[in-house]
Amino acid sequence: MPFQEDAPRIVPVDDFVRDELYPGYKQPFGGQPFVAGPVRPFSRADNARYWLRDSLHFSEGMVPASIATLDDAQTWGAQLGAEIVGVPPTRGSVNRLAGTHVYIGTIDVDTEWQVQARAARFGQYVTPILRDFDSYWAMRAGELQAAYDYLDNLDFSAMAPAAVWTALKDAYAFHRRAWFIHFEVMYVLTANYLAFYALAEEIGLAGSAVSGFLAGQQTFYSKTDEELWRLAGRAQELEVTGPLLHASPDSMRAQLSALPHGAGWLDEFDAFLEVYGQRTEETCRIDTPSWIEDPSAPLYAIGTFLSKPTGFDFFAARQQAIAVRDEQIEAARRSVNGADLARFNEALASNQAANFAWWNEEHNYLIDRRAAIPVRRATLELGARLAADGRIERPQDMFFLFKEELYGLMEAGVTAAGATWKDLAAMIPDRRAYFEDWKHRGPELPTMLGTIPDTVPDPIMIEVFGLSGRFLEALRGGADRGGVAEIRGFPAAKGIVEGTARVITTVADIHLVQPGDILVCGGTTTEWTPVFGIIAACVCDTGGSLTHAAIVSREYGIPCVVGTAVATQAIKTGDRVRVDGRAGTVQVLASGQ
Amino acid sequence: MILDLGDIRAADAPRVGPKMARLGELAAAGWRVPDGYAVTADALADWLPAAAQAELDGLLGALIPAQAAGDPGALAGISARARELVEGQPLPAALADAVAAAHDRLEQRARAAADAAAAGVGSGDARPGAALRVAVRSSAVSEDGAGASFAGQYETYLGVSGIADVLGHIRKCWASGYSAHALEYRRRLGGGGASARPHALDLAVGVLELVDVRSAGVAFTLDPVTGDRNTLVVEANWGFGESVVSGQVSPDHWTVDRATGDIVTRRTGDKRVWSVFSPAAGLVVLEPAAADRAAQPCLTDDEVRYLARQATRIEAADGGAPQDVEWAIARGLPFPDSVFILQHRPETTWTAGPPDAGAAEPAAGFDPVRYALRNVFRVPGA
Repeated sequence: MPFQEDAPRIVPVDDFVRDELYPGYKQPFGGQPFVAGPVRPFSRADNARYWLRDSLHFSEGMVPASIATLDDAQTWGAQLGAEIVGVPPTRGSVNRLAGTHVYIGTIDVDTEWQVQARAARFGQYVTPILRDFDSYWAMRAGELQAAYDYLDNLDFSAMAPAAVWTALKDAYAFHRRAWFIHFEVMYVLTANYLAFYALAEEIGLAGSAVSGFLAGQQTFYSKTDEELWRLAGRAQELEVTGPLLHASPDSMRAQLSALPHGAGWLDEFDAFLEVYGQRTEETCRIDTPSWIEDPSAPLYAIGTFLSKPTGFDFFAARQQAIAVRDEQIEAARRSVNGADLARFNEALASNQAANFAWWNEEHNYLIDRRAAIPVRRATLELGARLAADGRIERPQDMFFLFKEELYGLMEAGVTAAGATWKDLAAMIPDRRAYFEDWKHRGPELPTMLGTIPDTVPDPIMIEVFGLSGRFLEALRGGADRGGVAEIRGFPAAKGIVEGTARVITTVADIHLVQPGDILVCGGTTTEWTPVFGIIAACVCDTGGSLTHAAIVSREYGIPCVVGTAVATQAIKTGDRVRVDGRAGTVQVLASGQ
Repeated sequence: MILDLGDIRAADAPRVGPKMARLGELAAAGWRVPDGYAVTADALADWLPAAAQAELDGLLGALIPAQAAGDPGALAGISARARELVEGQPLPAALADAVAAAHDRLEQRARAAADAAAAGVGSGDARPGAALRVAVRSSAVSEDGAGASFAGQYETYLGVSGIADVLGHIRKCWASGYSAHALEYRRRLGGGGASARPHALDLAVGVLELVDVRSAGVAFTLDPVTGDRNTLVVEANWGFGESVVSGQVSPDHWTVDRATGDIVTRRTGDKRVWSVFSPAAGLVVLEPAAADRAAQPCLTDDEVRYLARQATRIEAADGGAPQDVEWAIARGLPFPDSVFILQHRPETTWTAGPPDAGAAEPAAGFDPVRYALRNVFRVPGA
């Protein structure tokens, strides 16, 4: 593709061009069997393509060890998934790093013959899976669960260091496999959903209504939230709310134990963690602990619920969501006739049986928020042995070694670049400082780098990340952001609400959200879900009809507008805003300053 | 060559098509149906002059090679030339005379009925002295058959009057067999250009008196949404039923309990358009409806209950298979003489298999792979 000298459309990557990923780490190109291309730093050639900042999944930056898990996920997993499923227009996604922050792009299939060849095998692959999705997903989920049963129950304390290293290699192999499954299923279900979307448009319904038809199926995460609300109720009954509302995370457990019924409540909380605690707060980041290791996230969620004057009736909310869904389905059925109605019913049945809106939440507990936990456990255990040997200072130093370096050192005593343990240990402080420096720069990074395209052919980029034509247009006109009166986006969940905006750019700041706030953010993922029980509305920069925020807002019955491109920049915390979830608009009524 | 409706029975289906055969059975059993006649498929089989047949075969035979050579415009071009060629051919004199005689008989019967209408019984079209308006309906003989269904591949013309126009529209019905979508449909089924005589069609034509319609629509002897056979459904609009059948309007909708015959639910549609005879066009056309009528129910409760009951009687007469019944209510006639049955056919969506068994299986109507490739990924040729 020729480089286009079309100034307003290009946000140059030049400031981020590096020949190293981190100080002292040059990537051994070609050393990995990638389908289309590994995670890399930006190069100038990347100016010719578009790169979207993935603050949706990775808001805080990646330590060196997490770059390998990112490679497995959004790069290798997506590329292998697209290849094996045979998605005609795309080879999947590919990542670039600006410092430590993740940008995502896609690789178009650019020859007509390949498009046709992929289309032919796409049908062969997808049809049998959609015929009996329940059995298929049970098979894949069973495979994932069997791996967790093995990896989570390894008793490291009894293992020699070599066995710990073997366990880490197994955990890495599993992690990569889990991410292939992720994208295999995701491409299949996205096709089913988008086919329904296309049919709806063909028979005169709004395609954007389709995700509403698929709402209301219970997921592992909606059960998690229900449990958290139940624990909040138990805290009130047992009179242990004080520490949950006011104590710092470090002392909360001690303060709870000191109360008459505190130990009883903590027993219930620990039983909850047993079932629901195998999850982290961010995808692929092996430097983030699970809830079992660090329960401050669920404790914070319970505290937030307690600060809301009235509880949240999950049963009523779900009944209401189901009633709204059924009403929308009936209204749609009334507006179509004969053969169109029969096709609508078939498409609905196909999507109820193989439901992207449901799976997009459900799969997180088996893949996105969990797959890296065995890698983390084995890495920290190996780090403890290496620290005891004096190779590194402390176990957490392992996060600042690249996987390729670790393999070289463990298997040959030296990296491919000739570095020894001693050389690398000396670099760790610099790398740690590099990570911290970039962590603070995250909120200022451009939403998109490279050349902003007119259209994007990858359906996942459109429906999950929200790269619609209108979004891209908003980005191109993005220079003028001052004094914007009305922001337009995708109408994700209906309802009109006025309130005070709370702009949150990283999930780490989620505790700042107050009941009744209108949440304005880049995008949300599963770990944001509890906050939907207290906010009045949600507005996101990114996202389409299948975005987490869109799906969850419908379940919670609050207005939501996604894919605005500019909301976090045009709106400031404290602004008075009006959100119209049906029209897909957000108005700034008064500045908070 | 020509069969008057009163002479048509089920056994004539191979000559007049199942649609006309079922209507003949209804007439014979005493149902109120529009009078008419059928030009049989065997009478039409060789109507085209030999030179035109050869020219058509040449045209259609070129279609598949042209498409294989990647000429996307070939289909539209060949279709347009074929239709023009066919519409320009005169019907053989013997056939034209036979149609004229049958049409004359129909007009005489209609006049007799109109005279009787003064006494309270008669046909719908009570406009003394005016030329009889008819519907010229394609009736594919393989339509609704066990094999491939050609339903919807041919056209129907409403509001035709005068023998010259009737003859012209019979030719147009035949020509509609070479429309782009009909050719594409036949190509997919292995017919069309691949056969030895690519121009051959299995088509009869029905000419039926046009009911002077007030309201019209469809009655189903099961709920087409859920497949529930305890529920009967009536859908209707003002004017001719074409606006309902073609799905161009959100019709009035009633559900009726099969056991009690009571109306269970009622919903007044948003009837922004209706099908109405246009004197200027000389045909029935779709027009915007007046706002006050759009929001007003187009049937009385008595009419709804009666239509539902008639539909179950037709179902019983057809061996109990769920039915989709098209009907019309004429102006100026007392109820229930005003109710005409236009056609009926077995309802196929739910009878293909039990709803539960097929629920998760993408059926012919919605194939997610086909939609994804064609509409989402926009793969050329998918």
